[in-house]
Amino acid sequence: MRLDLDAQDAGFSESFDYVIVGSGAAGATAARVLTETGRSVVVLEEGPAIAPKNFSEKIFPTFKNLFREMGGQVARGRAFLPVLQGRCLGGSTVVNSAIVWRLPNDVFDQWDALGLADALPRKELHARWDKLEKELKVAPTPQPVWGRFNSLMDDARKKLGVSAHPIKRYVDGCKGSARCLTGCPHGAKQSMLVSYLPQAESRGATLVTGARVERVLFDGIRAVGVEGRSRRGAFKVMARRAVILGASAIQTPQILQESGIDGVHVGRHFQAHPGCALIGVFEEKVDMWFGATQGFDADEHRRVGRYKVETISLQPEILFARLPGAGRRWLSSMAEARHMAIWAVQMRAYAEGSVRKRFFGADIQFSLNARDMVNMRRGLRFTADMYFAAGAKSILPGIHGLPERIFPGEQWMLEAGPSDPACYSMILSHLFGTARMSLRGCDGVVGPDFGVHGTRGLYVLDSSVFPTNTGVNPQHAIMGAAWLGSERLAEARN
Amino acid sequence: MLKPRHRAALDVLLPSGGHPDFALGAFDAGFDEFYADFQRQAPLPMRLAFRAALEAACWLSPLLIGRLPPLATLAREDAERALEALGRSRFYLVRQQLLLLKTVLTLHYGGLPGTRRAVGYPG
Repeated sequence: MRLDLDAQDAGFSESFDYVIVGSGAAGATAARVLTETGRSVVVLEEGPAIAPKNFSEKIFPTFKNLFREMGGQVARGRAFLPVLQGRCLGGSTVVNSAIVWRLPNDVFDQWDALGLADALPRKELHARWDKLEKELKVAPTPQPVWGRFNSLMDDARKKLGVSAHPIKRYVDGCKGSARCLTGCPHGAKQSMLVSYLPQAESRGATLVTGARVERVLFDGIRAVGVEGRSRRGAFKVMARRAVILGASAIQTPQILQESGIDGVHVGRHFQAHPGCALIGVFEEKVDMWFGATQGFDADEHRRVGRYKVETISLQPEILFARLPGAGRRWLSSMAEARHMAIWAVQMRAYAEGSVRKRFFGADIQFSLNARDMVNMRRGLRFTADMYFAAGAKSILPGIHGLPERIFPGEQWMLEAGPSDPACYSMILSHLFGTARMSLRGCDGVVGPDFGVHGTRGLYVLDSSVFPTNTGVNPQHAIMGAAWLGSERLAEARN
Repeated sequence: MLKPRHRAALDVLLPSGGHPDFALGAFDAGFDEFYADFQRQAPLPMRLAFRAALEAACWLSPLLIGRLPPLATLAREDAERALEALGRSRFYLVRQQLLLLKTVLTLHYGGLPGTRRAVGYPG
């Protein structure tokens, strides 16, 4: 059953066994697992439900309908870093590139060193990933939909002998329309909107949209429900067994803070993967608007260098804003668009920031530190080396203090570039750590059972619980952990 | 409604007939209607930031090339140079003003069928 609270006048006040906040990777996976138990489940989503056939290929309507704050959410620090998050049924899985990476062993080793080997056991997570990959049709991007902007990275791989490969994705029947980021209109991308949410719904889950949860309700230390607001007024949903937060590393800590759970670690230790793109200009036509949106990545320096390089196709609206010049010179830059490719460095930053609930919304603080900037510059240099190996005639770095265009032989400039993050155009993706897992309450927010320390019946299943960032795209890790956590709480005697 | 000086700044940034592949400028491509929609739907901080960027383009950018404001009084070449200087300023917040203007303009312009055809976008 589906309900849109923004469209109905009557208030909403009901009871369910499990109340899940958020319909993205974590919430939908929890719904998929918990509906198997036969218990009643409700999924509360702040944004609207939009069917794939109604996705626009244009950015403005997409930002309006599918993104939080119309794409205008930013982290503040040395620079403003856009923090793009989905705000619709299916969450960010509707507007991401469906990239699948199992958590690498070196990240597991770090988590084990924090005492979480039993809480997040690699063998059990691998077993959940096996299931996820089977159910959601995971496969490497097939060659017919690489498109030239992806295959150029393969050319660079062959020339330089570096580790790079077609990205594994949750996609069934990709048409190569390069529209993952505006929502797949073909329903090929196995976002939660077209996979686990309908599956949970068919098993009896209630999917409620237009429901912005503000706080968790308690009876003593026991979570008994949530309350929030829609455009039409307040609502309250009671939970007989558990309240599960899967609202993301930005929203989950705010809900906790608003609920009076405001320990020293709530909203702290915010980590992310900052991304910075270089535009490569080729003699040949690249036509980045045909091919899998993100079909290829290079992980040569993932572990030691702490960065990966990914191909990405951006809509003209986003690409043009990054191009140099004003007036006629800007238009000349646009005219080269068919010859451009975009490859982005995605970095596993050391820096930690914070998320606080404020009157006007989330106050996200984050600045890259000096070590991060060294890695970022090395990543950009490596990206330029790959571009030129693939035959690029020039690169548009878009970095303040560097020439507008650099040519083969000049890529050293990127490594010697400015150390101030404000000189770069970056975005923040993949958000972690704001309700981190720990063995003891004094070290984190949730325990090994995913339950919030000091409470009963309140669980966090999204990437807030990850004790560090992962260095790889986190959707698979989030879904694996949410699956594991949901099974544990289904077995628990709440 | 955009003030005349704001229109003049945006017209310099994205002019008509500025390139053979892009005959239309911002305003003959219908930016006014888009802007009305933007004013209705964009979050308040975004709208305020855009207004501030327009004022920076009008009043601050000419000073960066040693000319007196407003931007509308400059010859096209000088006005383009002034806007580029805004984007190259040593001050981060000043540089961001040009990026913001470009972002809002291309939210409209980059989605137009003619623009997309010119860059080989399918469909």
